[in-house]
Amino acid sequence: MSLSLKTNKILLLFIAFLIIVGIWQPNVLMDGVQRGSMYALIALPLALVLGILGVLNLAHGDFLTVGLYLSYMLYSQFNMDPLLTMIPVTLSLIVLGGGIYLLTVKYVVDEGHLNQLLITFGVSMILIEGVKIIWTTRPRNVFTGYAYSAFSIGDYRFGAYGLIYLLMAVVVLVGLQLFLKKTRLGQATFAVGQNPKGAKIIGINVNFVYLFVFSIAVGILGIVGAGMLPQTAIFPSVGSPFSLKSFALAAMAGLGNLNGILFAGITLGVGEAIVNAIPGYSSWADLVFFGVLIIVILTRSFREAR
Amino acid sequence: MNNKYLILILLAVAIIFPLVFGSYFIHVLTTVFVFLALSLSWDMMLRTGQLSFGTAGFFGLGAYMSVIVVLKLGWNPLFSILLGGVFAGLIAFLLGFVVLRLREIYFAITTLALTHVFSVIIRNLSDITGGASGLTLNTAIFGGSPVKIYYLILFLTLVVIGVSEYFKRSKIHFAINSIRNDEITAKSSGINVFKYLLLVFVITSIIQGVIGAVYAQQYAFVEPESTFSLNFLLLPIAMALVGGIYSTNGPIIGALILGIISEYLKLIMPYGHLIVYGLIIVVVVLFMPKGVYKPLKNKFSNNSLRGDANAQSSN
Repeated sequence: MSLSLKTNKILLLFIAFLIIVGIWQPNVLMDGVQRGSMYALIALPLALVLGILGVLNLAHGDFLTVGLYLSYMLYSQFNMDPLLTMIPVTLSLIVLGGGIYLLTVKYVVDEGHLNQLLITFGVSMILIEGVKIIWTTRPRNVFTGYAYSAFSIGDYRFGAYGLIYLLMAVVVLVGLQLFLKKTRLGQATFAVGQNPKGAKIIGINVNFVYLFVFSIAVGILGIVGAGMLPQTAIFPSVGSPFSLKSFALAAMAGLGNLNGILFAGITLGVGEAIVNAIPGYSSWADLVFFGVLIIVILTRSFREAR
Repeated sequence: MNNKYLILILLAVAIIFPLVFGSYFIHVLTTVFVFLALSLSWDMMLRTGQLSFGTAGFFGLGAYMSVIVVLKLGWNPLFSILLGGVFAGLIAFLLGFVVLRLREIYFAITTLALTHVFSVIIRNLSDITGGASGLTLNTAIFGGSPVKIYYLILFLTLVVIGVSEYFKRSKIHFAINSIRNDEITAKSSGINVFKYLLLVFVITSIIQGVIGAVYAQQYAFVEPESTFSLNFLLLPIAMALVGGIYSTNGPIIGALILGIISEYLKLIMPYGHLIVYGLIIVVVVLFMPKGVYKPLKNKFSNNSLRGDANAQSSN
């Protein structure tokens, strides 16, 4: 009872926050929501891996980079529409994610956090440098007409393309929830996340669940990558900051709280958009995420210590 | 006994080196020493059981502080290097009161986030730090003489090796080891865990700050992207892992091996030669968790009993 009261309070605060920002500056709200849902969309698979495997994947953002580059390659070689590349890119990322899991992460799932962090850190470096070897460090751009489409409400004009992130985030979130609750594999995944040993005892193939979750998580990044390409200039380290930002969201939402990530993402996205909108201070916007990350981690640790 | 002669010979080689070889090789070895010192400082923190990803952050702080006082206040570069270390140490001391209450994954992530926070703050204080384009000094330290810079960095590296050895041999070693093995036991045996963690955190940050300052003075230049580059985090980690963690000799051997390999690869692979570091980290974590040094030592040492005792005490 008290828990639901607490979540209700947070939800009300969240809505009030959005309304206040919306009245103050509708553009900031729109920008923030679009950004925030993109962050949440990227953070969802990280939270999934963190929740089920217990591994913080520091290479998370770099899988996104690979997705962006693959999508760019299909666009430039075969003239495919970036949004259409979503399917092949997602499939190839599922294979890549599965391969990397089998080669590296598999061996450290049961080990200490130190080795997990180090190995995903190493994978992150391999991906970044691999991208540099194949595509060099030159920044690349994609031009599509629809990325700059806009619509207006009253006197305000908004960029429309970013709303695709909100749509994608909701679809991915609902899809994941349905998968976890309704399918047998999803229920098994849920069980593994709660107690791997117990899950093994009752006959769940834990290793397969791990492989599946990791591949799907990386695959989701393919969807995101193809969706981001029309609006993003890509370079080898374009994805790296998202690893930490995603972890910030996962930490803010709390482990295992997938819905919370969307709210946390939008809150931080709007927060960033507010800082961005203050003239002369726009470059401080990067600090929002890291500041929140550090504060959240510290408050959590103090609460645990007590 | 044998070790003493070996150390003396290596020291002599290091001292004579610049008199024999040309400036390219001096430059390579100087860079190796810089990363060696960083690697040792990272390993010293790891010995307490805390995985720090803040190496690049304190490196950058030291670098910026040193360049700023030389450029704006006209300080002597040598003093500025000291100040860079003191500044990094001070920041570490203040942050330590909060950060060091964290453990494991949370400590690692917070230190990584701090590195980003430092770089964002520095990029935005453009009046003092020159913003995104950074600062350039009129001249490098010692007028850019590679030999003098070599000796300066050699000296600093020897100091760092000394500190690391002191940590291995004094009673701090036992406190640190027991904290790593079991913090609750350590606490109940009367060890002030926080005090030791803070001590190590501050000292390693001072080392990173000094090395950052000397690096900045050597190149007469700081810039947010390259000064806070994750290379100053990744390479030291890879070196310590290859050589073998929790020891002084491991990072030294690792730095020599990887430093020379990477210098060679840089020549044949303009893009992405760092991929080797990623591969090495993965391979070492998976297949050689003890690194190169310890297995080799155990193989070649005659008194394997002592080797085992050492291995046990440090594990």
